[in-house]
Amino acid sequence: MLSAMDVMIHSSSFLLPCDETCGTRYALVVLNQNLPRFTPLLWEHAKLRLCADGGANRIYDELPLFFPHEDPFVIRNRYKPDVIKGDMDSIRRDVLDFYVYWGTKVIDESHDQDTTDLDKCISYIRHSTLNQESSRLQILATGALGGRFDHEAGNLNVLYRYPDTRIVLLSDDCLIQLLPKTHRHEIHIHSSLQGPHCGLIPIGTPSANTTTSGLKWDLSNTEMRFGGLISTSNLVKEEIITVESDSDLLWTISIKKTGLPVRDHKP
Amino acid sequence: MSAMDVMLHSSSFLLPLNPVDDTTGTRYALIVLNQSLPRFTPLLWEHAKLRLCADGGANRIYDELPLFFPHEDALAIRNRYKPDVIKGDMDSIRRDVLDFYVNLGTKVIDESQDQDTTDLDKCILYIRDSTLNQETSRLQILATGALGGRFDHEAGNLNVLYRYPDTRIVLLSDDCLIQLLPKSHRHEIHIQSSLEGPHCGLIPIGTPSAKTTTSGLKWDLTNTEMRFGGLISTSNLVKEEKITVESDSDLLWTISIKKTGLSIEDLTP
Repeated sequence: MLSAMDVMIHSSSFLLPCDETCGTRYALVVLNQNLPRFTPLLWEHAKLRLCADGGANRIYDELPLFFPHEDPFVIRNRYKPDVIKGDMDSIRRDVLDFYVYWGTKVIDESHDQDTTDLDKCISYIRHSTLNQESSRLQILATGALGGRFDHEAGNLNVLYRYPDTRIVLLSDDCLIQLLPKTHRHEIHIHSSLQGPHCGLIPIGTPSANTTTSGLKWDLSNTEMRFGGLISTSNLVKEEIITVESDSDLLWTISIKKTGLPVRDHKP
Repeated sequence: MSAMDVMLHSSSFLLPLNPVDDTTGTRYALIVLNQSLPRFTPLLWEHAKLRLCADGGANRIYDELPLFFPHEDALAIRNRYKPDVIKGDMDSIRRDVLDFYVNLGTKVIDESQDQDTTDLDKCILYIRDSTLNQETSRLQILATGALGGRFDHEAGNLNVLYRYPDTRIVLLSDDCLIQLLPKSHRHEIHIQSSLEGPHCGLIPIGTPSAKTTTSGLKWDLTNTEMRFGGLISTSNLVKEEKITVESDSDLLWTISIKKTGLSIEDLTP
């Protein structure tokens, strides 16, 4: 199917070892669930690192566990968030004091109960001077999945509410991104690090027709809807997957348990 | 006023078992999928008349149930909590676990030839066709381990709720439960406030809702539109012991499960 739509290219470069582009393209938001094992790698890739409220507890408590042979105090100093933002009802007092002492900017939004912690962090990043017209930051968020389902649904909704901002939700098991219907999509697969399990999920609205290439079970002007067919337990077969749809879709792909360095930096 | 039938919901499966006072007429079936067992799994097991493991869910029963009873012999626990059926495509269950339960008489149904349906699907079909599913009593299917892990698995499991709207299925984790509220009915949800809540939500997965109306929530909806990309009801709170919901669209209802009040001491028979 020939289409005049622009192509949006997707590539999980943030799972690759750091190169000279490190620290230029990404912002990291840490939410309040267990840190994925590749969090130090994401941290290295990021230009801006935020903790959403109790996400700061996770950085404080769990990052040292990734470096069992190093002094936790040293690790906590090395992995200091730039900003802690949110309604402050989960962050521990000792954690807050530690990061305030070391210069982390704290933005207390407890008066604003209308938006989620992830929302508040995304707004901050979008308005930040580090996020320039010429090179928009792509946002990586950990801890958005699992736990209470209403929280998870609210976090998925953030992807739909900011369709012009590239946001990737990450867990130990998988990543999720929005594929807006406004574009044709090319997804580049790093097959040593991700896949083969994948899916295309019409979470908000049914899709009357979606067409893909590069999957084990490709779609061909196929209808997808909850209550009927949705593409789950699919497999990537090629290194480039293409997707075109009349509806916004969530793309999800598994992250391999092996092959990902926990850390990639020179101390 | 609506002429629709009312569907009643109550998390009786979180209450202690009381055979003398079983007035609800509900018969439970339990499906265990392959994620960490919620801490109240022994309670669900006691409520259920039929217990199935979907493939690797059997590994979870074998490995994790004894951990809930640290003062008892693991073998005694494994004998006591023996699934009736293990069903699925058998690509996750460990050999030693399979042999153990086969030896004890668990029925094993190998569906590895059927790659078109999920493990949860296969188990639901089995239960619907079983003698547990009778005209005279209400069947409710409880499923653990449907959430978390790979998101495509989770989405496939949520889709099972939409694909069987006339079957009562509750997805359970340590943190919350999820049920479908079909648009065909008005809903009354009875809250066990010592065990669940207050955090709750109504999620229009699959299709937007042009109008939803609720009562009993902190932020009630009144002919309110909900859609992904706009407003969905999350981080809401239950205020009353009875919540009502009426919508033009199928919705997912979710409510948090309290960390206390469901201790092992409460749960052991």
